[in-house]
Amino acid sequence: MSVEVEVDESDLAEMVEQVWESYLDPEGVSPLIPTYDENQPSEVHSSVSITGSWNGHVVYASSRAAAQRAAAAFLAMELEEVSEEDMADTLGELANIVGGNVKAMLPPGAQLSLPQVNLAPEASARFPNAQRISGVYGMWEGEPVSISMWQSSTDNKEEGA
Amino acid sequence: MTPMRAMVIDDSRAMRMILKRIVTKLNFEAVEAGDGKEAMDLLADMTEVPELALIDWNMPNMNGLEFVTKVRADPRLREMTLVMVTTESEQSQIVRALAAGAHEYVIKPFTEGAMIEKLALLGLVPTGANS
Repeated sequence: MSVEVEVDESDLAEMVEQVWESYLDPEGVSPLIPTYDENQPSEVHSSVSITGSWNGHVVYASSRAAAQRAAAAFLAMELEEVSEEDMADTLGELANIVGGNVKAMLPPGAQLSLPQVNLAPEASARFPNAQRISGVYGMWEGEPVSISMWQSSTDNKEEGA
Repeated sequence: MTPMRAMVIDDSRAMRMILKRIVTKLNFEAVEAGDGKEAMDLLADMTEVPELALIDWNMPNMNGLEFVTKVRADPRLREMTLVMVTTESEQSQIVRALAAGAHEYVIKPFTEGAMIEKLALLGLVPTGANS
């Protein structure tokens, strides 16, 4: 049975801030500027699933340009050098880090999946019977980035099919 | 002087790169592995055991906790300093890792400074290496 989750926007925003400080903007010069627009576009996304005491997904989505910039920051390389594989790997790790920290705020007994990466818009993602319950939406150096949480309904037996 | 060696074990290449950058800055020679099994295979072929291993928890094939347990059960590897570097941040998980034989625990995301501080506490940062 899934419990009511108590991870809200401010918790997600704090995790995002830590990720930026640690990897994407260690100098503190280009933070994620909130837009509060949950419908902002994306071109790529990654996700991790959480099962157990809470069932759902944590999704990181952004434009390709933002993903490229994230990979360049992670891998300490020039933007032009970033490959699709670099972007995919970085997106996966970003979802993993945020998802892991979300899991830590859930009741004991939650399991985190390995990350899934899709170099396609978040709108193409299919999370059966899941509903977005919170998110952080912003612009990073003029490019859209979002981190959202989707809660699955445990009542439907088709879930996860 | 022979440089110290560090093994960086994470299924994310991006995270391996970050960790490799940090340990290289501290004058370690870095060896990478994508999971615990690959790390054990590499260790089996090494004549000299690395002084340090930075280990992710959630990995395919052999996870970080299993790796720590195997290393601790092998007398040849007992001198290795094991540091878990993971998103698993629940108290119970930290206790499990330390009980299995990890020396330190670093929660992702971490800053370079925080990681160096942890390694310094373990006596693995040569003076002036991080300047």
